[in-house]
Parts: sequence; C-alpha cells; structure tokens
Amino acid sequence: MANARDPGSRDAAGPPGAGSPIQRLVEAFHRLPGIGPKSAQRLAYHVLRAPEAEARALAEALLEVKERVVFCSRCQDITDQDPCRICLDPARDRTVLCVVEEPLDLRALERAGGFRGLFHVLHGAISPADGIGPEELKIAELLARLRDVDRDVAEVIVATNPNLEGEATALYLARLLSPLGMRVTRLARGLPAGADLEYADDVTLARALIYRQSVE
Amino acid sequence: MHLAELSLTHVRTFARLEWELTPGVHVIVGANGSGKSNLLEAITLLATTRSARARSDGELVSWSALGDVAPLARAAGRVLTRSGERVSVEVAITARPAAGGGALGGEPAAAGRRFRVNGVARRASDLIGRLRVVPFSADDLAIISGAPVERRRYLDVTIAQLDAPYVRALQRYTRVLQQRNSLLRRLQERRAALHELDFWDEELARNGGALLHARAATVAALASEAAAQYAALAPDDGALACCYRPGVPSELASRLLGGASEEAIADELGAVVGAERARDVQAGVTHAGPHRDDVAIAIGGHAAATTASRGQQRTAALALRLAEVAHSLRRTGDAPVLLLDDVLSELDAARRERVLAAAFAVDQVIITTPDADRPPRAELPGARWYTLAGGVLQRAD
Repeated sequence: MANARDPGSRDAAGPPGAGSPIQRLVEAFHRLPGIGPKSAQRLAYHVLRAPEAEARALAEALLEVKERVVFCSRCQDITDQDPCRICLDPARDRTVLCVVEEPLDLRALERAGGFRGLFHVLHGAISPADGIGPEELKIAELLARLRDVDRDVAEVIVATNPNLEGEATALYLARLLSPLGMRVTRLARGLPAGADLEYADDVTLARALIYRQSVE
Repeated sequence: MHLAELSLTHVRTFARLEWELTPGVHVIVGANGSGKSNLLEAITLLATTRSARARSDGELVSWSALGDVAPLARAAGRVLTRSGERVSVEVAITARPAAGGGALGGEPAAAGRRFRVNGVARRASDLIGRLRVVPFSADDLAIISGAPVERRRYLDVTIAQLDAPYVRALQRYTRVLQQRNSLLRRLQERRAALHELDFWDEELARNGGALLHARAATVAALASEAAAQYAALAPDDGALACCYRPGVPSELASRLLGGASEEAIADELGAVVGAERARDVQAGVTHAGPHRDDVAIAIGGHAAATTASRGQQRTAALALRLAEVAHSLRRTGDAPVLLLDDVLSELDAARRERVLAAAFAVDQVIITTPDADRPPRAELPGARWYTLAGGVLQRAD
C-alpha cells in the first residue's frame, strides 16, 4: 500500500529503484521550478519513450544554454552576442535607462512596447534573508556603465517589483544615483488595465487613489 | 452575524461536509477524536485564514486527498451580517506530498493557500474579518500562563478580525523584521554597509508604529471589559488587571500608553531603532519593537502566570474571551460567532450560566461536547443538537 503512491511504481515500466537512470531524471525534473513529482514523472517517461534524436536535441539544448549563452557586458541581460542587440541598436534612446530585476522583466517590457531606451538587469533584488545584498546584484556594473559607456543617461527608471525587496532595491538605487545628477523614477502603481474597480484589492485601490492623475 | 452555510472538502477528518446553519445555538455531540475540534478549526480558518492548532497548513489537508494529483483542502462559508449583507468566503490549501515520498513519506508540506471573497480571488488580508469568530477552548489557558508569544498571537488574531490595515502592517512587519535581522548578521560579518539599514529601519518604524498603536488601544478596551467580567465570574476574588507592556524603551512606552498618535509613535520608534543600531548589530537582532510586546496580567495585584491557581487562570481566560465578544460587538455593531470547544463541561453552574448568557446575546453559537447530557439540555432552550461520528454530522434533536 505504501508503494501505491511512490513515483514510478504505478507505471507499466515497473518499479525502478532509487538511483536508476529514470529515477535520476525524475529527480532532476522535480528540482526545476514549478514541476511537482507527478509532472516530473510524466516528463521523464515522455523522454524515455521519445525517439533518441529528440532526447539528444534536449540534452544538447540544455548544455548549449550553459555554454553559449552569456551575459551582456553592458546591460547584464542574457544574450548570445556581447554587447547584446539592444545595447548596440542605434535607434534606442540613450538618455533613458530602465533597471529591472530579471531578464524576464526586460522581455515583458519589450513585449509591451512603448519604451525605446536602454535596460539594465540586476539579477535579483536586495533580500538580506536570502543572502542578497547590493554586492550580489549587478549594481557595480550599472555604476561603471553609467560612468564609462552610457554617459548620456539622464533618467533611470527603477522597474523593480512593487514588494518589500523591490522597494528596498529602488530606494538603494535612488540614494546611489541621485547624487550623480540623475533623475530617478519608479514605475507607477495602481489599477490593472481593463480591471473592475469592484474586484481590486484594498491595497491596490488605496495606492491608485494616492497616485491619482488629473483628467486632461 | 451568523454562518449560514459551511462546506468542507478534504479538511482533516472530513472528506466532505455540507452544513446549513441557522442563527441560534448549535450543539455538536461527538466522542473524542470524532473531529469536533476540527470542525471549529475549519470555521476559525475561514475567519482568520489560520488554524490555531495546526503547525503547518499541510496538516489540514485530509490524508484521503493526498493520493490526488493536486491534493486540495477547501473550506467555504456563507455569512449573513445583521445589516443583511451576504458574503461568501473560501480558503483553499493545496498540499504537495513530501518530495520523493508516498503517503507514508512524511508530513505533507503545504504548497499554497488561496482565498476567495464572493468568488473572487483575494489576498488573505481582504478575507480576514468577513466572518468574525471568538473561539473558546481549553487552550486559552496559555494566554494567561504561557509565554509572551501566546499573548501576542491572541492580540493579533483578535485585532486582525476587526482591523484590515492591522493585518497588512503585521505581515509587512514580520517580513521586515526577518530581513533586518538577516542584515544585522551580515553587518556583524562586515558583509554589508550600515546605510543599507535605512530602508528596513523606516519600514520597521512605520509598520511597528501601527502595531503598537492598535495593540495599546485594544488592550485598554479589553482590560476594563475583562475586569468587569472577572468580577462577575469570581465575585470573591481580587481584581483582574491587564496592562500592555510594549517592547520599546520606557519613555516611548509611556507616550504610547498616554495615547500618542500612530504617526508620533512611528516617528519615535524610528528614532529608537536608529539609536539602537550599534547594539542591534552587536547582538544580530532587533531589540525594540512590537515583536517584544507582552501583556501583564494580574489577579489581586499578583502576576497571574506564576501565582494564580489553575482555576483562577481558567476564569481569567474566560473573562478575556467574554471581553473580546463585547469588544467585537461594540467595534462593529455586529456580533461575532461564538465557538465553544468543549469548555462548558469543566465550568461550575454559575460560570456556565455566565457564558451561556453571553452565548444567547450573540447571533450564533456553536458548542461541542463529548457528553450528550452536558451541558444539560434544559440550559439551552431552542438549541439544535447534532451528533458527529465518522466525519458525518447528523441532527439529533
């Protein structure tokens, strides 16, 4: 009975022992974010049954991402060429720079369109409990870049997340950059577009009231 | 207010329970281990988003659900207020079987909690207080005789149900304190700069000031009410005195007890925290703040935790709960739901009468008892009686 819920044992392939190749693959998938034991099992058995070429392509893609993808020496975004395409793009506005926590945040802002300036990826936010201070983030790289390469930047938009850690990071950056004569701004916060007032939570509503705008 | 409907799925011993309730007194008779306390725990969960008994949320998910692809415990309720407002609340807890293990692989680890108010996904702080409960149980003794953390938890649960901003300040304060203490230890190891404390100190002061202010006001309100209740419950005993002891230096404490505004308290807490930085860094912990709060409880001038008898402590806890009922009613104009978890059988007739008087003054009471004859049916006119066995609730009038 105890084995009835053991990952793997329900499958027709029979109960593989711990440390077997299939078990190692299940565990490797399970360590990925958002993958529970059941999904890990499903993925592992999918790979087992897939043609060898497919498994090889997956393995190569995994290795390649570690070997070939590098960080852009300017914006610290992940890239396959250094400097990255955004940093080299002559059409970008070099007077505005937007600071984000993660590469995914940069992708989101690019997808949204409307921003044509430069980016800088911190790779995290200040969180002492997780052992992350300013030193662990790409803040020294940001300062060096503003000093040596992107000297025309007049405004830094801090687009860190609107939670405690993001706010701590924003305040830290503001205190660091303002004395350099740069305008430091923060993304607005309030109601999501297309939302119903009725469904907004209290915190968001209160903030939307504080940061209200006059109707032109 | 009253709970008009309760629905449980895979919560502890309940595979499934649908219960329609009316205003008035409900008595549930069940043997020990039949799940009486679990039922009241689930109702408390709907009011506060937390269980007073479970060490982790995962415990709430019934074993029967753990074989499912996504084990889920769900408690939902429909609340009717005195003003006729209908609110539905729902707490769902997803558990993940312990990694690599089967059903016997260990305690389930809670993977997440989701909340809905009127069917819409909300934060915990938006759900707390839609249903308000005052839970009476034998564990209340810990409020009087336990460590300060028990009294802080009691205050937090009591205030949270009445004051939504308090919940947010508490959540934020808890996180800020954890971050600040981590940063203090990094400073000890010279892996951070002192000015990195600026943000956390400001947040600590703002949220800590809100907590101090709310707790001072609440203890003051509860203290006079509890003293009156205690005098009525134990007319021959000394007076019950509850006095807030905030975890801040005495000057700030006396300003707080003197009724200073929340803003003034936050400013002064900021100054105190700033002045104590060196000491905090040395110790690696934050010294001043509401995380060090306590409530001094005395009977006849003597500390109740150390000198009072078990009986006195039990009566004091009862007086505090009754005070909470009155406070909640006065603050909101609506009565909380009373949950009496097997507390009547141990009371003498005079005290039982006192508690039942409070029970009949609110809109709804749910009483559990292991004994079909206690409390005597004659003391509960109009009550609805139920039996609980094997996770099934049945009318037994």
